[in-house]
Amino acid sequence: MNKKGLVIWDERLADKGFILDPDNVFWAILCKGEDGGITIPAQALSLYEKTRDSLDGQMRDFRFNSNLTAVYIDPTDRCNANCPYCYVPAQIRKNGRSMDRKELAFILEKISKYFEGEGRKAVIVFHASEPLLVKDIIFEAIERFSAHFKFGLQTNAILLEKDDVEFLRSQRVGVGISLDSSDPAANDRSRTGNFEKAVRAIEMFNGYEGLNVITTITKFNVTGLTRMVRFLHAKKVPCVLMNPVRLTQKSSHAVRPNEKAMAKYFIEAVNEAIGLSRRTKHRIIIGNFSNIILGIVAPTARRLMCDISPCGGGRCFFTITAAGEMIPCGEFIGLKGFSGGNIFRDSIEDAMGSSPFRKIRSRFVEKIDECKSCAFRNICGAPCPAELHAFGDMFQPSVFCEFYKAVIEYAFRLIAQGQERYCFREEAFNNLEYEYKI
Amino acid sequence: MRRVQKKCRKQNGKWTRPAKPGAISYRLKCAKTANGLSHFVMYGDVDKKQALV
Repeated sequence: MNKKGLVIWDERLADKGFILDPDNVFWAILCKGEDGGITIPAQALSLYEKTRDSLDGQMRDFRFNSNLTAVYIDPTDRCNANCPYCYVPAQIRKNGRSMDRKELAFILEKISKYFEGEGRKAVIVFHASEPLLVKDIIFEAIERFSAHFKFGLQTNAILLEKDDVEFLRSQRVGVGISLDSSDPAANDRSRTGNFEKAVRAIEMFNGYEGLNVITTITKFNVTGLTRMVRFLHAKKVPCVLMNPVRLTQKSSHAVRPNEKAMAKYFIEAVNEAIGLSRRTKHRIIIGNFSNIILGIVAPTARRLMCDISPCGGGRCFFTITAAGEMIPCGEFIGLKGFSGGNIFRDSIEDAMGSSPFRKIRSRFVEKIDECKSCAFRNICGAPCPAELHAFGDMFQPSVFCEFYKAVIEYAFRLIAQGQERYCFREEAFNNLEYEYKI
Repeated sequence: MRRVQKKCRKQNGKWTRPAKPGAISYRLKCAKTANGLSHFVMYGDVDKKQALV
């Protein structure tokens, strides 16, 4: 049964209790009385009554509109690494094709036309496999289309040179570097040999605000997340995403971390990041945890699309493969039946309206038995449909459901302690304004 | 506004004040950006005007 209205808990936060409306994420943290009981102040209830309809509407718009804002482009299928958990099948990485200069320009022109008159720049992210294998054409495109798009690049940094770093900084490109551990041996078990180059690249970026590091949590690095935060903080990295490994491809199952251990070490890493941010001049945030905090205090300001339901795939962004196939998200690249068309033949409008894209947009938490009675359903979003499709049915809870529950509970604790502001960059927090507050 | 119960009670030889029956609740919204930006421009967009670090 889909729970409607306020859910009340009094055991989750030790000396505090909380009320939460799972549909619109109205929440209030309540003090307990001497007898351990909770009194819900009239002020909180009247605020809820006053804001409920408006919050319901905001949440509905945020979740179900199809406002495309970003396109991921895989300019090549090929990769110079061989990470065991990669969602791009090994065969594609080995034998796949690469776009040429003309094809990439054609795609960017087409995307540019789609966004004409929007009044703001769309985001283009060069992504998996390893985009720097075709460095020349993507750098040329970044320069040529800088007036049309904001650019991002996700790389293992193996081919990243000093001149490239200077170019990316000068073009204000958002750069994600994949690095799994501060321990070279642990990193190279999953990231296959990029440690030295990735660390060198991070040092060359020297605190660049557009840099983030992506750490995929596996059984190899799960105990070292706190050390990783310290390591990256010392290298002035402003943001790290510590993502649980996606089990979309069977090869990734062998590196699956223990879920309880992952929650414990992830929370310790969050604490370390907060402690360092409070004690030192340099702030480091764990971006995917920040997004969970945002999911509670500012749900419609969330940036990561995986923990919104339906997810952002085929709705707020989509991926173009090296062969031009338009798929809802890169995670679907190895799964059959998810192409919404080919960019060289078909329109973006057609892809957005295609049956595979609609299928992903129609997968949301209220349709999942376990999720529709969960109070956190609109904070975690039950990721990821591609991963769960690979497990046989996308209408089931997240593979790491217990991890998300533990982390969300912890997020409420931090909010109760007033520590959430250390989970954001200062300038980002200043871009948020109160809609209401008691 | 929040009502604070000030009546004190003696417990185990000490005077204690009952916990305030207060609540914390707030909602923020993004003043500058909207739905759907990727993590590359999250938590402080890379501003073109900002001086290079």
